[in-house]
Amino acid sequence: MTPAPTTDNPFAGDNSGIQKRETAARWALRIGSHIVVFTTLAIMLHIFVKGAPVVFQSKWPFVNTQFLTKLPATLHVIEDKQGHRIETDVNGADAVKKKLGDDFRSEKTVSYSGGGILGPIVGTALLVVVSVGVALFLGVACAIYLSEYAKHGKFLETVRLAILNLAGVPSVVFGLFGLGAFVLTAPVFVDVPADRSVLAIPLGFTTLSFEGWDTCVLSGGFTLAFVILPVIITASEQCLQAVPQGFRETSMALGATRWQTIRYSVLPFATPGILTSSILGIARAAGETAPIMFTAALAFKDKLPWQKDMPPLPTDASIFAHWEQSVERFLGIFTESVQALPYHIYTIAAKIPQNEYSERAQYGSVFVFLVLVASLATSSILLRKRLRAKYRW
Amino acid sequence: MSADSPAIATPPPVVQVRDMDFCYGASQALFDINLKVEYHRVTALIGPSGCGKSTLLRCVNRMNDRVTGARVTKGEVLVKGKNIHHADVDLTQLRKQVGMVFQKSNPFPKSIYENVAYGLRIHGEKSKSVLDEAVERSLTHAALWEELKDRLHANALALSGGQQQRLCIARAIATLPDVLLMDEPCSALDPISTLKIEELMHQLAKEFTVVIVTHNMQQAVRVSDYTAFLHLGKLVEFAPTEELFTNPREKLTEAYLRGTFS
Ligand SMILES: Nc1ncnc2c1ncn2[C@@H]1O[C@H](COP(=O)(O)OP(=O)(O)OP(=O)(O)O)[C@@H](O)[C@H]1O
Ligand SMILES: [Mg+2]
Repeated sequence: MTPAPTTDNPFAGDNSGIQKRETAARWALRIGSHIVVFTTLAIMLHIFVKGAPVVFQSKWPFVNTQFLTKLPATLHVIEDKQGHRIETDVNGADAVKKKLGDDFRSEKTVSYSGGGILGPIVGTALLVVVSVGVALFLGVACAIYLSEYAKHGKFLETVRLAILNLAGVPSVVFGLFGLGAFVLTAPVFVDVPADRSVLAIPLGFTTLSFEGWDTCVLSGGFTLAFVILPVIITASEQCLQAVPQGFRETSMALGATRWQTIRYSVLPFATPGILTSSILGIARAAGETAPIMFTAALAFKDKLPWQKDMPPLPTDASIFAHWEQSVERFLGIFTESVQALPYHIYTIAAKIPQNEYSERAQYGSVFVFLVLVASLATSSILLRKRLRAKYRW
Repeated sequence: MSADSPAIATPPPVVQVRDMDFCYGASQALFDINLKVEYHRVTALIGPSGCGKSTLLRCVNRMNDRVTGARVTKGEVLVKGKNIHHADVDLTQLRKQVGMVFQKSNPFPKSIYENVAYGLRIHGEKSKSVLDEAVERSLTHAALWEELKDRLHANALALSGGQQQRLCIARAIATLPDVLLMDEPCSALDPISTLKIEELMHQLAKEFTVVIVTHNMQQAVRVSDYTAFLHLGKLVEFAPTEELFTNPREKLTEAYLRGTFS
């Protein structure tokens, strides 16, 4: 008994609830992802349109070198009677006014919006170097311990949970932690402990004093390190776990110690992933504002960290003759406070009266910042690709 | 089967398991195992899945130490006359002398040369000539030298499954162990590769002592001199292979061999 076909098409959809739900779900998901893509593109485009003209120019060398190589400064805008505006800095203002003479109509100053953003770029770079160095060392060590040495059980689960929670801590809390721990109490070697020292341990030739590192690159870098530490630990642990267990068994069965096993048959294959995650950590560290607000960053500073009032090194001998001083000066860079890109953007966007000039500086900084972060992300992807090709299994 | 037979001609067994109980945490996996493995013989461990063959094998080089909660609860394991659980036994030295080949061939994603040299390198061998010589010797033993001598620096993952498993054998024998433990070395291989490895086994027995776990009873007949039959964590019967297969003493063994197993 074959039922008579109702239509010519035996496979026609019946337009049932199942099919409708399928269509609805497909469209909901599609619209959702399109909103995400569209928003991202809109943000990028907005920043590009507003920021690119600040950074690029139509004349050679096509890049506004002033913006990238000068320190931030107060912008002086002088208007003449015809309504022409002349932009200059504090040193040029008088000369311009003199030249205009009677033509001078008004002068306006916009703080932080003149000059360039070299200070914040350098500061962010230093902070990133310190934080990623510290976080990578601590994070990889911790991940190796958790994944290769620690016994599985309650304790390990607790530690994992703690690390995951650490990732959810608001970054301003890290800032306060950094203020308390690194700025105010971290240990230093000094001859005479300061009054505010929490604890001073005399060591004979010097004193180990817990008086803090002050606001400086080191304090900020360590604070940022703790911000990105959970990301690095979790990612590194995943990379270690992704290395086949058989490699470890084989290596141990050949008589390798645990460390040899890790060193020769686990780490080489986990490194690509670890590096990728660390580069993403760089982007995160570079972007955080709150943790460095109290620990490293200044709203304004007219010097780079290595520009200090110090007697020049004697030029009589080679630099190696004064290597101790050179090293000291190099390390001195890290004990300076700096400007940083995110904090600079915050300052010029929220702390000064807004006008077209401050807006220009904002978008320029944001654009540079975005380009830096994007190139880091790109290089992490390229690096991973290359290393993957080398160590694949 | 008395331990103190006055046999002068037979050397002491290279591996001896005495009255051993073994537990994974609270669950006991092996019960009162007694086993002697003679020098330069192939000993096969057979039995149904989950009976404890791998566990017993891994007791010999203490690979079970890696499993949390796994431990020998009674008896002892002697290798070359030494109780391997004694405090002065260095695991790295033990495993150098008791090599192991796993079920799944798992060469490192490094060159063929580096795979074979791995064991020697981690034991501190740096001399290139010693390493070269060991690589050639081990690959020859594993019947791979002729095939691979021109591409020693190619990635080991480019080899076929059978070649990879023979490479793993070469890697395990490069440190010149006395005992070679093999846990179902052929179970992931095609019949031709399996045949090659079985042929290899006789050659290997001339230099090493082989203990092999296998699911395949024909394989046990073909390659082994002695066979141990395990069931539910107990060693049911241990005898020369021919004897065990043609004339099993235990009912359980007979049932298993005939395939009428309940
Ligand atoms: N890591 C482990 N933790 C807990 N129990 C285990 C572990 N490994 C094995 N066992 C248990 O020990 C018993 C013996 O396992 P074993 O792997 O030695 O069996 P097998 O004879 O090798 O089996 P197969 O032929 O399937 O490989 C099994 O009941 C198994 O469940
Ligand atoms: Mg097994």
